[in-house]
Amino acid sequence: MVTPLGVGKNIFSQKLYKGDSGIRPITSFDTSRFPSSLGAQVSDFSPADFISRKNLRKMDRLSRMAAASARMAVDDSGVNIDSVNMDRMGIILGTAYGSTDVSVQFAKTLFDEGPRMVSPSLVPNSVMNAPAGHTSIELKFRGINSTVNHHEASAETAIAYAAAEIKRSSADIMLAGGVEIISEFFFEILNRFKALSPLDGGIEEARPFDTMRNGFIVGEGAGILCLEDMEHAKARGATLYCEIVGWGMSAYPSPPTDWPSNPKGPALAMTRALESAGIGPDEIDYICASANGGKKLDILEAEALSIVFATKGKGPYISSIKGAVGESFSSGGIRAVSMAISIKEKVIPLTVGLKNPIKSLRFILNTNKETQINFGMVNGFSSGGTFVSIILKAL
Amino acid sequence: MEEERVVITGLGTINSIAKSVPEFYNALREGICGIGPITVFDTTDSRTSTGGEVKGLSGKDIFSSQFSVKRMSRSDMMAMAATLEALKDAGLFPVPDELLEDTGVVIGGGAGGMLECEKAYRYHHTDMNQKVRFSRFSSLCCASSGDHIASKLSLMGPKTTFMTACSSGATAIGYARDLIRNKAAKVIIAGGTEPLSRITYASFNSLKVVDKEYCKPFDKNRQGLSLGEGAGIMILESLDHAQSRDARIYGEVLGYGVSCDSHHMTAPDPEASGAVRCMHAALQDAGVHHTLVNYINAHGTATPANDPMETLGIKKIFGERAYKIPVSSTKSMTGHALGAAGAIEGVVSVLSIANRFVPPTIHRTEPDPDCDLDYVTEGSRKADVSIVLSNSFAFGGNNTSVVFGRFTEKGVTNE
Repeated sequence: MVTPLGVGKNIFSQKLYKGDSGIRPITSFDTSRFPSSLGAQVSDFSPADFISRKNLRKMDRLSRMAAASARMAVDDSGVNIDSVNMDRMGIILGTAYGSTDVSVQFAKTLFDEGPRMVSPSLVPNSVMNAPAGHTSIELKFRGINSTVNHHEASAETAIAYAAAEIKRSSADIMLAGGVEIISEFFFEILNRFKALSPLDGGIEEARPFDTMRNGFIVGEGAGILCLEDMEHAKARGATLYCEIVGWGMSAYPSPPTDWPSNPKGPALAMTRALESAGIGPDEIDYICASANGGKKLDILEAEALSIVFATKGKGPYISSIKGAVGESFSSGGIRAVSMAISIKEKVIPLTVGLKNPIKSLRFILNTNKETQINFGMVNGFSSGGTFVSIILKAL
Repeated sequence: MEEERVVITGLGTINSIAKSVPEFYNALREGICGIGPITVFDTTDSRTSTGGEVKGLSGKDIFSSQFSVKRMSRSDMMAMAATLEALKDAGLFPVPDELLEDTGVVIGGGAGGMLECEKAYRYHHTDMNQKVRFSRFSSLCCASSGDHIASKLSLMGPKTTFMTACSSGATAIGYARDLIRNKAAKVIIAGGTEPLSRITYASFNSLKVVDKEYCKPFDKNRQGLSLGEGAGIMILESLDHAQSRDARIYGEVLGYGVSCDSHHMTAPDPEASGAVRCMHAALQDAGVHHTLVNYINAHGTATPANDPMETLGIKKIFGERAYKIPVSSTKSMTGHALGAAGAIEGVVSVLSIANRFVPPTIHRTEPDPDCDLDYVTEGSRKADVSIVLSNSFAFGGNNTSVVFGRFTEKGVTNE
């Protein structure tokens, strides 16, 4: 993973559990003309450590984050890629807006200087499937390759799709996750959408599930998991993090790029995920939430959680790491990795920025929670009304 | 648990040669060319000036004030138009209340709201606030077409958007098949949509893969593709559900395969290894022996690289029989609608089964010695098409093949 907290899962989890935040004043462009100025940016990332020189120079920033994360995931899995069948190795990535930096550069030349002046070398990176394409070339993967796009639920969709592909035996190993970058163009659009903190003109901060929340802080980064057929993994003596046991997807009518007010959509996704895993709501121990400090999303998710987990017990622990890594849209990759680490380490990270919860659910605030997690749920809920939940199980 | 069979019960399309499926069938049979001068934007300074444009696209005509077209991009409107046609065709409009939770949307996209967002890109560095209306941005994310369809029809099933360039539409159909098979939905609106836009047009021109006149698939003098636009939608349904409501069944989605060239971002592997692996995977997934395929809807872009590569790939899969299977590129008529191509060609494939005909490849006048299959160049022909292989190969080395079949109660038997 390549995240605002650092590059690689070790630094990421160290800082996450310390309660650090990757949110800083944006430095890659001038934010003075916008109401917002903060972002969770990736720094200290040297792609040459992970990507061959030949391929590196053809990749834009988005693809570099994806390819580097993919390389880390493969290395961590211990798969020797020279000894496996590359036709059965694939990758599915989620990205919501793709390489907006490249598109802007291309469009600027097109409109300022004319169609004959645009550079053909920019074209391959301007398509949304460039990160997955570059990554397969770098890793020599020849199996399934795809890219999905659904705002904040892009990466969860990718992970659910990849898991289904392994289940239907069309691949042995699938890399899956999400990648997103902050560009000035993207930042401007989010400002125009009135999505970013501080919407109320108050303090600019990410406060998932907090009564004082006033919009999210944009983030960037990549998180990729290496999924493998259980028998295939056992046969090569791999160290396993957890098992993907279920996923659920749903939609609910909503205005374009906005949120529905009825929690039925996210509740359906969670219920479907539970059904697909064959477990009841009381068996979920921890939920890595989608809430990002946004006005509508957080209350929508909190209400859906109250409906689905309205059981006699105390309900699952809930935290959101978006207070630490920002809302990077395809953050589901980073958050699924975070869940896998939580299951393995038996520690739930605290929710940075949460002081006064909007609902009396079992939110983890202030300090991490050490506990066995048998089943964990990762939620990816997106504007426009698309909802995905994934369930991971301890082994 | 027995796997659900997935059938096609409705079709919808809008493209450069037709605004409905019956029109499309006629145009395919007659070999009509939709490639001509582009009017949707100014092409004065471009290397080329032609494409397969959808003329006279108007939201009011399409929706007859049934739905608001507010905040819909050209891409969203075409997807919505094809969706409405397909649902009506399937007898599922309006979608019955008891089916809303079990109806999903899987769309393959391309440029999405690019045509509308061009201004945003253009004025981004200067004074976007004055020059660009906020409503223009809502379709920036390509997921917007699926969002509009699901929201306007109140659907609550799974919703996904694929972005694998020219194979998006085909992958969407394959994935939708899987979702129904896994019982995640009973009905899925599956397909693709793609608008022409200056940015896409300039991209393909800068790569010098566009023909100045019209594309000439498999011709010796082919210069490249012709960009197109449009949408293709099919209603996929579990066989049980379709039969329980006595729906007309056009055909069955038998299988699909996806592979990656892992070779080059914009050029196919000349040895066709990626294409072969994906055609092979599709046939295997479908449980269909290659000897049963009796029509191939080719990717057939008419770029110098694709056509001999695809021909070679077909020969590698089908051996000597490759010469006996009709292979056509309907892009010669519609132009290459990128993200929608696989879906529009899915509609072509299903029509060829339902109407027992093979559409032609037009514009080929001089055979290329490296492209020596039966490309149906003399015009459409009658044929008892029962199993179709439809190919879509894309930038990034993303290949998808889908196998469609005539529906029979007992399914495909390989004897």
